[in-house]
Amino acid sequence: MADATFLDSTELVLNMGPQHPSTHGVLRVILKLDGEKVLGADCVIGYLHRGVEKIGENRTYQMFAPYVDRMDYVASVSNGLGYCLAVEKLLNVEAPPRAQAVRVILTELNRIASHLLWLGTHALDIGAMTPVFYCLREREYALNIFEKYCGARLTTHAFRIGGLQYETYDGFEEDCRAFCDMFLPRVDEYEELLTGNRIWIDRLRNVGILNIEDCKAFGVTGPVLRAAGAKWDLRKAQPYSGYEQYDFEIPIGENGDTYDRYLVRMEEMRQACRIIRQAVDKLPSGPIMGKVPKVMKPPVGEAYVSIEAPKGELGYFIVSDGSTQPYRLRVRPPSFVNLQALDRMCRGGLVADVVAIIGTLDIVLGEIDR
Amino acid sequence: MIKGMGKLLRSIFLVDLLQGMWVTFRTQHPKNIVTEQYPAERPKVAERYRGAPRLNINPENGETLCISCNLCALACPENLIVVTSERNEQTRRKELITFTYDTSRCMFCGLCEDACPVDALELTQDFELASYSREGAIWDRQMLEEGPRPTKYLA
Amino acid sequence: MADETKPPEGQPPQPPSPPPKPAAKPAAKPAAPKPPAVMVTTPWEDDLTRAVKERFGDGIVESVSYVGQKFWVVTPETAIPLLEYLKREADFDYLVDITAVHYPKREKAFDLVYIVYSFARNERVRIKTQIRDGDEPPTAVPVHLTANWLEREVYDMFGIRFAGHPDLRRILMPDEWEGFPLRKEYGIVQQDNRWVRENLEIESAQ
Repeated sequence: MADATFLDSTELVLNMGPQHPSTHGVLRVILKLDGEKVLGADCVIGYLHRGVEKIGENRTYQMFAPYVDRMDYVASVSNGLGYCLAVEKLLNVEAPPRAQAVRVILTELNRIASHLLWLGTHALDIGAMTPVFYCLREREYALNIFEKYCGARLTTHAFRIGGLQYETYDGFEEDCRAFCDMFLPRVDEYEELLTGNRIWIDRLRNVGILNIEDCKAFGVTGPVLRAAGAKWDLRKAQPYSGYEQYDFEIPIGENGDTYDRYLVRMEEMRQACRIIRQAVDKLPSGPIMGKVPKVMKPPVGEAYVSIEAPKGELGYFIVSDGSTQPYRLRVRPPSFVNLQALDRMCRGGLVADVVAIIGTLDIVLGEIDR
Repeated sequence: MIKGMGKLLRSIFLVDLLQGMWVTFRTQHPKNIVTEQYPAERPKVAERYRGAPRLNINPENGETLCISCNLCALACPENLIVVTSERNEQTRRKELITFTYDTSRCMFCGLCEDACPVDALELTQDFELASYSREGAIWDRQMLEEGPRPTKYLA
Repeated sequence: MADETKPPEGQPPQPPSPPPKPAAKPAAKPAAPKPPAVMVTTPWEDDLTRAVKERFGDGIVESVSYVGQKFWVVTPETAIPLLEYLKREADFDYLVDITAVHYPKREKAFDLVYIVYSFARNERVRIKTQIRDGDEPPTAVPVHLTANWLEREVYDMFGIRFAGHPDLRRILMPDEWEGFPLRKEYGIVQQDNRWVRENLEIESAQ
């Protein structure tokens, strides 16, 4: 049929990204549309592929630590923690209690920083202009603590295998307490701006529903899984780095829609503050570096260690052949696996909802493409 | 009825507007200003900030502290440090000849300064590293010892 | 650095003489007992592994644990039925990861690793299977939907084709790229020159 053009079909293929401002990086989504309705979504990723796993096989264990910061650059401290724990597992060493507590404090601060960036950009995508300025302002305080502690703000390289390189600075505890005191009322302020906002509710409620069975089938973790009602958090399920000492709640949602994910993350920020306060209050003294050899040669073996990163389960699978370099280093990125559920969540929704759903998945392309 | 009156009075006396303006004025207080006027006002970075590298010299005699042990070059994940040295037959020690540091590939992870046994190599608080050419990002020994010359801006 | 009260132990001591090359360093202390060149595993025995062994018999080659992490080594044809069995009978309903490890010198050049987790048991196990280069292991997509992208990534990085995969395309690398980057023979600075020339219009991306 010579006359068959795209006008004859009700389906339209729309390219969203890779330069679309609300795809949060270089994500390209090919949408199949019927009018305004989404029939399917296919993600094209890999624009930010740097071969992190290949680099890992060609660097010694210590040398690779700065590279993991470049994956999820919004939560670089969490990346570093996961990597250090994985290598420590292979070496069969454990960080001293003080190092563990400082690690917890910084990781939770980083969780807040990551969620703040998510909240700001997500609100900006939906059309709320104000929160992004507030969020970035508060995030700055957390980044200042990182800067004072380890000398870098974003790609921190804060932890070393076996413990910490830097002792805490004078006034670290006060800074953390002041941050918590300052921050908790600010969360209420954000909630005042958004939670009851009619536009916010209309745009988010019943959008991108992913129920608990779908979450498990797609391997989705993190706040997305918790919003669907699963009370599962690796910090509670398989505690690492001394998380079992701290008292905190796992917030869960009911419907698994975008609005629930928003509420879960807001509550997670409050809980993170709670953990920071407890950890600062009982910060033990003592050494900060465990007994690790200068030349790290883990015995032949393999280990999979995962942590609860702000985005979900971040896992490192390392195979050692007894040399100074990992034989194989696999990163299980939470964003990559979570993004796979985008197609399921978008179907039947509107194009404008796709923006909300991508925002609520809280993806970081540096981690997806590695 | 009373409620309606209240609403009317609020709008006559511009209560909502004044409330909104109060928020604006309140944040004019210097304590609440978070914006930094960067080139005019140099931001204060933390003491441990990992910025431009510097090769420290002994302030008394101007000799380098570097013992050319090459540990920084071995610790660097990007292999961007090149140290050449020569053995001095009289003192039986290695003497530093050149020290090249490629800041264009550096990711400021701090592993080199951790590795340095004599605190000769250090990442300083300077953060203005831009140059007009790629070659300008490769620092030689002289530049490392003097440190970067921050751009002076005319007010 | 100056405000450090205690130098961390990761720092090397002051070497007055030129330090040996990193490769030569371990050789300097030959007296230390050499760690074994194979993984020292401990056998893993519990109800689950007994039930699985009963069900799959010779399909389960080994059931061991290393640093407290349990795994089965199974024959390639057992892997997917085992995943399905675990999902149905033992609540292992969350496939965490699929990945591969390349051993070019071995006859069966690839280790395929499945990591599964059970929410109900709060337990994580690995399933490992060895395949030859060019083998087409069956896909896990009918069992776990999340296997879709994970298998695509394994194909992209190692060139392992999964039989029956609904949409086996490259995922991170460009579609026309030649070579599989995570194979051991693929150099770290290697690239597909033809692709770079044609698509980026430069001679080299280095």
